[in-house]
Amino acid sequence: MTTAAPTVGGRTRLSQSQSLVSRLVGFATSQEVVLLLVVVLLFTVVGNANPRFLAERNVLNIFNGNAYIAVAAVGMTMVIISRNIDISVGSLIGVLGTISGAMAVNGYPIWSSWLVPILLGGLVGAVIGFMVAYLRIPSIVVTLGLLSILKGGLITVTNGEWITDMPADYFLAQMRTPELSLPGITIPAIPSPIIIMVILTLLAALWMRYSATGRAIYAVGGNAEAARLSGISEKRIIMTVFIINGLCVGIAAVLWATQLSIIQSTVPAGLELQVITSAVVGGVSILGGIGTTVGAMLAAILLSAINSALVFINVSPYWFRSVVGVLILITVLTDMLRRRRTQI
Amino acid sequence: MKTKVFTLLVMCAILVLGVVVPAAAQDRWDGADDLPVNPLACPVAEGETPEEPAAAEPVPYNGGQPANAPDLAGQDIVAVDVPKLVGIGYFAATTLGQQQAAEELGNVSVTTDAPTEANIDDQIAVIDNYITQGVNGILFAANDPVAIAPVLRRALEAGIHVVGYDANAEPDAREWFVNQAEFNGIGKAMVDNMVAEIGADGSFAIVTSTFTTPNQARWIAEMQAYQEKCYPEMTWLETVEAQEDNQLSFNQATTLINKYGADLDGIFGMTSVATPASAEAVVQAGLCSVDAAAAQAPSAEEAVAVVGLATPNAMKPYVIGDNAGCVKSVVLWNPVDLGYAAVYVLRAAVDGTLTSESTSVEAGRLGTLQVVNGSEILLGAPFVYNAENIGDFDF
Repeated sequence: MTTAAPTVGGRTRLSQSQSLVSRLVGFATSQEVVLLLVVVLLFTVVGNANPRFLAERNVLNIFNGNAYIAVAAVGMTMVIISRNIDISVGSLIGVLGTISGAMAVNGYPIWSSWLVPILLGGLVGAVIGFMVAYLRIPSIVVTLGLLSILKGGLITVTNGEWITDMPADYFLAQMRTPELSLPGITIPAIPSPIIIMVILTLLAALWMRYSATGRAIYAVGGNAEAARLSGISEKRIIMTVFIINGLCVGIAAVLWATQLSIIQSTVPAGLELQVITSAVVGGVSILGGIGTTVGAMLAAILLSAINSALVFINVSPYWFRSVVGVLILITVLTDMLRRRRTQI
Repeated sequence: MKTKVFTLLVMCAILVLGVVVPAAAQDRWDGADDLPVNPLACPVAEGETPEEPAAAEPVPYNGGQPANAPDLAGQDIVAVDVPKLVGIGYFAATTLGQQQAAEELGNVSVTTDAPTEANIDDQIAVIDNYITQGVNGILFAANDPVAIAPVLRRALEAGIHVVGYDANAEPDAREWFVNQAEFNGIGKAMVDNMVAEIGADGSFAIVTSTFTTPNQARWIAEMQAYQEKCYPEMTWLETVEAQEDNQLSFNQATTLINKYGADLDGIFGMTSVATPASAEAVVQAGLCSVDAAAAQAPSAEEAVAVVGLATPNAMKPYVIGDNAGCVKSVVLWNPVDLGYAAVYVLRAAVDGTLTSESTSVEAGRLGTLQVVNGSEILLGAPFVYNAENIGDFDF
């Protein structure tokens, strides 16, 4: 490429500048930027109506509130991009969170009660991946089965009894960074879930964009046949995706379990739908092949912000469900329109 | 690209619609139902004469009676207790109360026998067994009010006395039901305990399950009626929904705290999930009204009190545990007293001292209990768990 550059220099530069412009335009209208604008707009409108909405504490609460959903959405993004789905994430978060709490209460070292659920999540992901990739069972069926097993199993084992009295240093999600006082600016203490959410999202986004395996996920989801012909092992990619998804769910479960002093020992209702909604509203195409983890994270934050905003401006929470439903429909509609255009 | 711009515009439009339209047309969502309310009398200062409660129209007796029951007045009787399930703290507490009553009475022996899961089919099988074996009395807490009725009617036909507690059956399938708490009693206890902490001019908000959950809506309606009658100076800020979800309850309570700041004095939790989650929100916001000696105690102005319906185990961390004093009163009934009363009611029904004509029944240490709603015995005012007594309960 570098040796060839001088001979076709002019043309290369031209196409580069063209692609730069179109990439800029593409960036400005990408789902991520649109979501960011909507979040900013929401904060501005509601902040005008009630300035307390913009108070540091409330903003941190909004970011923190759905951080564990955003973490699970990182894995869900990959799963959906690979043209699969995982509807067992809510149940898995409930089960892994309960395991984490039970370990902490029963005297296991704190680090193990954080680590074991994450590894177990990866293991469950590997089992799902194996059934989907090698046994050729559709992922919705595999995870539907798993959902029922986990949901029923959890209630049978725990009798619905809550876990309380975890040791004081168990609460990972309640930890915060120290407050930083730089000259002229004070960075407030940031809750750890926000840090974990941002780091995981960015790492995953970069990995999916620049690594061979990451790009192969898009290839498998976008056009499985072409991916196979270009030498990508679909089975291996799907295994990888579900294992990473399991690990993300494990991290989300630990954040979920360590946030409050009580673990309910039941599966949080509708949690899988919140995770899937975050991914879909974040611009992940349900037909596979398109989307980023950054979009999913922004969508999770938007949903949390909408929920908080409705309380702030005295709107019935019933609206929340309607607003979320409309968001989903719009995003999917846009995705369909976008696809139709590119096909022409 | 056009579609993107279109999306952006539509999203903005929805945001505006979602924000402006309902806000303009919004009545206060209080989460109360529209059924008639019956607030209890306000507490009276010493020396004043209490207001006479309005005499309610008595409902005629609507229970069922055992057929040809043998006259066992004063004689030893054998009873079986079939709660929803065994192996949980709540029904262990009702069993404890029954044993206390049996011991006091001396002429009753009660055994508790029930499935280990709250399953109506298993419960019916257990009751059926005891009808065949032959007992003098059956105490039950129904897993399903309708499904359990036929087997209970068979028991009545076999001359067995049948008394329910905690969870009712159809009235004609049992003689009596010990009702742990009436809605207006809970409403009064909640508001009175809140007033004790934030004063008669405080502002409060409510975290409930959903606006359409029957029990919660009924309690809120009674709380509202009682507060308007007895503490008109209080400010009812709003009610938020939080399903029965721990995380959502916490988020909603946190949002209330952020929204109202120092204007919020207290939060009512209407479910056993919402109450501990609201307490947790207050703890994590650093707004517990615990003694000012603590390192970063909030000013009285900022502190937020939590009063609610919850089980003792979930609330111990906030009443006597790590965050002791953050919550001062938890409203519920006392399951030990509930089991205790059920045995006294059974004994009175066997002895013939509690008949369809009765308006009250003697229940040992609980004193005289009133007959309400035709064939129900009211346990009395709700029980308030606090730092002194919460350690005695395990459910």
